[in-house]
Amino acid sequence: MPNIVCCFKWVVDEAYIKPSSSGKIDLEWAEYKLSDYDRNAIEEAVQLQERYGGNVTAVTVASSDATKGIKDALSRGPEKAYFINDDQFENLEPSQTSAILAKVIGNQIDYDLIICGEGSSDMYSQQVGPRLAEKLGIPCIAFVNQLSIEDKRIIAERKTDDGVEVISASLPVLVTVLPDINSPRVPGLKDTLAASKKPVIEIDLEDLGVEYERLLIDEGLRAASLERNCTQFGDGPEDIKAFAEAIRKTGVIDRG
Amino acid sequence: MSGVWIYADKYEQGLELLTAGRGLADMLGMKLTALVSGDINRAQDFITRGADEVLLLPPLAENQPVQDYVPIMADEARDADPDVFLIAASLKGKEMAARIAARLDTALCSESSLMNIDDNGKLRMERLMYGGAAIQTVSISSRPQMATIPPRSYEAAQIQSDRQGSIKTLTLPEPSGMQVMERKGKDQASGDIITARIIVCAGRGIENQEDLAMVRELAEILGGEVACTRPISEEKHWMTEESCIGLSAKEVKPALYLGIGVSGQIQHVVGIREAGIICAVNSDENAPIFESADYGITGDLYQIIPALIEEFKK
Repeated sequence: MPNIVCCFKWVVDEAYIKPSSSGKIDLEWAEYKLSDYDRNAIEEAVQLQERYGGNVTAVTVASSDATKGIKDALSRGPEKAYFINDDQFENLEPSQTSAILAKVIGNQIDYDLIICGEGSSDMYSQQVGPRLAEKLGIPCIAFVNQLSIEDKRIIAERKTDDGVEVISASLPVLVTVLPDINSPRVPGLKDTLAASKKPVIEIDLEDLGVEYERLLIDEGLRAASLERNCTQFGDGPEDIKAFAEAIRKTGVIDRG
Repeated sequence: MSGVWIYADKYEQGLELLTAGRGLADMLGMKLTALVSGDINRAQDFITRGADEVLLLPPLAENQPVQDYVPIMADEARDADPDVFLIAASLKGKEMAARIAARLDTALCSESSLMNIDDNGKLRMERLMYGGAAIQTVSISSRPQMATIPPRSYEAAQIQSDRQGSIKTLTLPEPSGMQVMERKGKDQASGDIITARIIVCAGRGIENQEDLAMVRELAEILGGEVACTRPISEEKHWMTEESCIGLSAKEVKPALYLGIGVSGQIQHVVGIREAGIICAVNSDENAPIFESADYGITGDLYQIIPALIEEFKK
């Protein structure tokens, strides 16, 4: 029965990000959420447990104020969580996050299968999963949209630019999953209550005993402007005609 | 040692990286090395198009994934210690780049949209974050400075006359134990939205799956392809993800984009930011799509689309 580990990240909800007039990014009022793709990772871990038994452990690296994220993750089904947190762990870059995860998972957790989201919804670097696999020295199958386990081997269908590949590899394996692999459940009140009773193992920088240097240097952040000057039309027959005419006049339609 | 390295798992993207890499190598006064899988003719082709050196990756067994090149690519890079290592941001390329970066203990800028060289000869790169709402500028303090480059960011390198270069064939990698059991091509029924000149995009405002027929008819009259937003492909499964536009799906560059009932979530809008003309039909006058559009109609799409179809038929 497989020991399944799923990794997640507690991130700024990009829906709250509004550029200020100065072109800076204002995060003061931002809400946080469980990274979208990590909901699929947790759901997949729990669904595999329902099919094959075993256990599910959720792991995150975060600054210490991400406790809400732990509860959110646990309300989705895992039976325990590792909360690797320290105030020094704010805004880590992928090489640091993956090194810290590898240290804790490699030394403290029994695993057969590690599931990560394809990327985080804030940075979307899509690096932590593959990097973690390398640090642990296990096979990596990225961008998976179908998973099963047969005789200690994983069978994964992954997306490629040309279509799909069905990959087989013996456990332990790390996979990163695409959002279309499943539909994450929405936790109910009962799940939320149950989550607060589940064990959480906390690990801080001192427990970790090693610091990983930042290698990707942040040189600045600015709001992206996607604004255009929109000419608005109403919905009357003349308006629709004028709208179509405006499009025709741009010359982008071959036949008119 | 110094130099600029490039690798793409697809030929076309390899030619684009030749352009990107040649530019950087010339600015830095360095040699350009291309990692190329294939035969000696392919290696020669890369040299005539701009590479100074080709490291030739021998063909893999049929059931070996291309990712099996990761260990030898990382070993070669560790020995040669290049300054810059660019990898094409295909799905396979993104995974391979992250794994090579981990093996080399270096940083990687994912999907770099812009590259400059500062006064110290270091790369300064830009990339999108927060679903496309922000642009982050980064540099890398470790070696090599790695980045993945989105497809079609650069023109394909052309054949030049009188170019010489060296070719070194690498040893065949050991099988990783990961086996490709099956490869399936894409469903070719739908056209490719990435190369489409005109795209009509269906959004959440479409109420029933049957109503997509109306969107298709409009696309057909305009001579374009039909695309969709994430809710249509992922939640409703009315269209495949091959048709989905967005930062984490496909980024498109049509001359004309027409959004039908598309609200304009940032992740989607980022995927159309390079469209020539952006038009939108939405019932909500405050829909964010209008902020990123050139022309917009506020109203009931179930009246407007049939009228537009009639109008464009003329």
